[in-house]
Amino acid sequence: MANGFTGKIARVNLTTKEISTIDTEKYKEFGGGYGIGAAIFWDLAVEPGEWDLKDPFDPHHVLPIMAGTLAATGVPGAGRTSICGLSPETFPTSEFCRGNFGGRFATMLKLAGWDGIVVEGMADSPVWINIINDQIRIEDASELWGTDTWETQKRIAAMVGGRTRYGEEWMEIDKSYSTGIPQILCIGPVGEARSRLAALITGSGVSGRVGGHGAVFGAKKLKAISVIGTQSIKMADAKGVMDARLWHMTNGNITTGSFGPAKPGSASCNPCLRADRRRNSFYGGETMCVDQFWLETAEPREQDLAAEALMRYGASGWGAHFVGLFLSDIPGAPEFFNKQVPVETGIGWYIKYLYEIGELGPGRKIDSAPLPMEEWGSLQFRKAFLDAVSRRVGIGDALAEGAFHAAEKWGRLEEDLENGALRMPAWGAVGHWTLPTAEWAYNYLLGAGDPSWHGLVGAVGPSQDGTPIEKKLEALSKKTIPYTDDIFMFNYAWKGKEAWKTGLYSEHKAKEVAFTRYYASFWNESMAFCEMFLPSIMDITPEIEMKYYKAVTGRNDSFEDTMRVGQKIWTMERAIRVMHGRSRSTEVFAPFMYRPGAGCMTFFGGVPIYEEGKWRTDEAPDMYLDRQGVEDFKTHFYKLEGWDKENGWPTRKTLEGYGMKYVADTMEKKGKLGA
Amino acid sequence: MAEFEKPEGRKKKLNRREFLVGSGAALAAGAIAAGTPVAAKTSSKNSYPKSEAYIVYDSRVCWGCQSCMFACSAAHYGEANPALSRIQIIRDAPSFTTYPNDIVMALCRQCVTPLCVENCPTGAAHIDTENGNIRVIDQDKCIGCKKCIQMCPQRPHRTVWNPIIKKSTKCDLCIDAPYWSKKGGPDGEPACVTICPAKALKLVKTAPTQEDIKGYDVDMAPPDPKLPSGPAKKKPAPKS
Repeated sequence: MANGFTGKIARVNLTTKEISTIDTEKYKEFGGGYGIGAAIFWDLAVEPGEWDLKDPFDPHHVLPIMAGTLAATGVPGAGRTSICGLSPETFPTSEFCRGNFGGRFATMLKLAGWDGIVVEGMADSPVWINIINDQIRIEDASELWGTDTWETQKRIAAMVGGRTRYGEEWMEIDKSYSTGIPQILCIGPVGEARSRLAALITGSGVSGRVGGHGAVFGAKKLKAISVIGTQSIKMADAKGVMDARLWHMTNGNITTGSFGPAKPGSASCNPCLRADRRRNSFYGGETMCVDQFWLETAEPREQDLAAEALMRYGASGWGAHFVGLFLSDIPGAPEFFNKQVPVETGIGWYIKYLYEIGELGPGRKIDSAPLPMEEWGSLQFRKAFLDAVSRRVGIGDALAEGAFHAAEKWGRLEEDLENGALRMPAWGAVGHWTLPTAEWAYNYLLGAGDPSWHGLVGAVGPSQDGTPIEKKLEALSKKTIPYTDDIFMFNYAWKGKEAWKTGLYSEHKAKEVAFTRYYASFWNESMAFCEMFLPSIMDITPEIEMKYYKAVTGRNDSFEDTMRVGQKIWTMERAIRVMHGRSRSTEVFAPFMYRPGAGCMTFFGGVPIYEEGKWRTDEAPDMYLDRQGVEDFKTHFYKLEGWDKENGWPTRKTLEGYGMKYVADTMEKKGKLGA
Repeated sequence: MAEFEKPEGRKKKLNRREFLVGSGAALAAGAIAAGTPVAAKTSSKNSYPKSEAYIVYDSRVCWGCQSCMFACSAAHYGEANPALSRIQIIRDAPSFTTYPNDIVMALCRQCVTPLCVENCPTGAAHIDTENGNIRVIDQDKCIGCKKCIQMCPQRPHRTVWNPIIKKSTKCDLCIDAPYWSKKGGPDGEPACVTICPAKALKLVKTAPTQEDIKGYDVDMAPPDPKLPSGPAKKKPAPKS
């Protein structure tokens, strides 16, 4: 098998209990990690045509959990695990959604000899999957069901380790030895309840929080996957990998994430809330990366306890989001925000809104029991929220379905979408920074929820050294392979003729959005670099990525080649979405995005805007989108991608250009092929 | 696989050498790794020339990223495999144990009295007098008897079994590291030390005290910050 890979992917059917392997080699043209996962999803879930691709809780649902190509090779920041499948979280349809998480699960999975594990079927009683090198067993999880994620991991570590005293002894595994501890991916009570707010948790605080895939584990009655291994990962040029690290240490800063040095007590990106946890950026984020901020407005100790509760229950800090710290007065925003418009809102904020307008509360039309509404937002309230959701008691049963499903049940969906109280930009999923960083909003719409990709948001901001905006953007435009030397792709003009000519609704903006998707699809989701670690777009990208990639894989690809693979992955993702119903007509923002008040405060100093022949940096708090403008943008984007401009479906020519004739054939049979 | 047992919780205060993960604490010691002796001999009547270099560390500064382990296996074997690494950083990776009790740094101490050398029946484990008296294992002479592993007085043992070649290995300060582009040895740059992004490892010339871990686990923290950043500053109260 190619360097960087183990050569095989585990396939576990929980219905039949059959365990088999998939040859990784078959999918090598998809790069690795998520790229391979998406291709496998097509082959196992879409191609057979046995499932309508509507219900994520259907036994036919296939969940590829993949390790990145560069994971477990000593490449820093590249240890993330990707997961994809239909999202229980999105609304009104369960969209094909990808997410990834840090921690050491992917690294250990590869050291056990697996490039990924594909879970399908549905167990008839709770199980966990036990992977010890090449051995895979489906174990009874009856006594684990009901335990929180920390307890689950501790118990499984003890069961796998047997009599091993971790930290003092080596564990014997197949005549080899390890001092390692099993890495365990699991769900808590929220996932067991099949709540759409459920996350996958590994370690004390790493959360696979995008998409609500923890609920799919719950539906499959899969409590956990544990893995420990002692095998080797072959690299084309081991010396080259370490030389790249030395180069990285000299020319970049291997110890630094986006916002400062990583050290004990700090993650790669965010400061550590729990000062008693050791952190690093090596595995692409480790421990409480973002969910530490679930209760960011409280005293530190309460923040700690809230984050711990979130992790133990296994809820997504995004699915169960309340309200962020960043509030600002956005012109035109609905009065009920009281001039304190959050960068993002979630189900918690929505509960408060309904309480304040008198619709929700004790004994009211929407009975809030058992939530202590007078303590809204507090630690006590959040614990009550998690408990109610996990047991589906009282209002918890509706909340477990997420804000949009709850609103629909309460007969409020249309009104609260219209008035902006349901302030999720599209697909009913929480998102942040969607405006004025419009490429983020477009990614959100064209994907399936928050892209959480910061690669450009800082780069397009004002320069720190006084370099004129135009000069800075010229330098940046040299990096955006394959769409280089077009500085207007960074123009965020959103009104007037310039918006259509070179701004948000132009063909130029389509290139910027496409670049971000190609890069993220290949480098972040398939190679497994934490997006807060790389790209480092204004300096060592793409040099450092290519040094690592070539040393590990030995492939002579150019950076442009890798971006082409990224585009192929992105096209496969599109094909899957089209097969479950995605089209131009479903690809629309929530109404508030087209009205004054859609914007939010900027965190990165504003965006560049070109109007009347001049560039300026503008925080653009008054930005909102034009409905026809978005449609015009989609036309440009579909054309750029080789998708049918009428419906956004990939054409045969496009698919065959990526070697995906088989995808085109299936889409044609289903009447889903673009013309 | 052990039968399912309900965790009993920790019964003693943990230290850096003794962290155990959750219910592992409830389980008795024993059954692992190549017949590790219950009480290994720690002294000898023989005297040996001292190594001219030692790797010391600071467990407070270490990130637990295991970069050193990947570097060690890559440098010696051209493959990434922490299980083959001659330096073991045992991190409570799930992070259920709190800093600084969440890590064990298990490095070869280049012991002043090397029991691995003393007890090797073939002379494979020996003093490399041509390379600063480093304690090394000659793979050509090793018969895979695991005596050096059994006699290592450290927990976990610092001599490492390589199941692929079926021989014992140990830290050689990278004097024989074909996949490492820098020179190793007492005056060189061992891969683990140079690659460490946290600067938690250091090559020193003076033999640390052999009595306990204090001589090896030294203070290398830069002036600021030395310890983890404290709790976050008070955030503004909610405004709505």
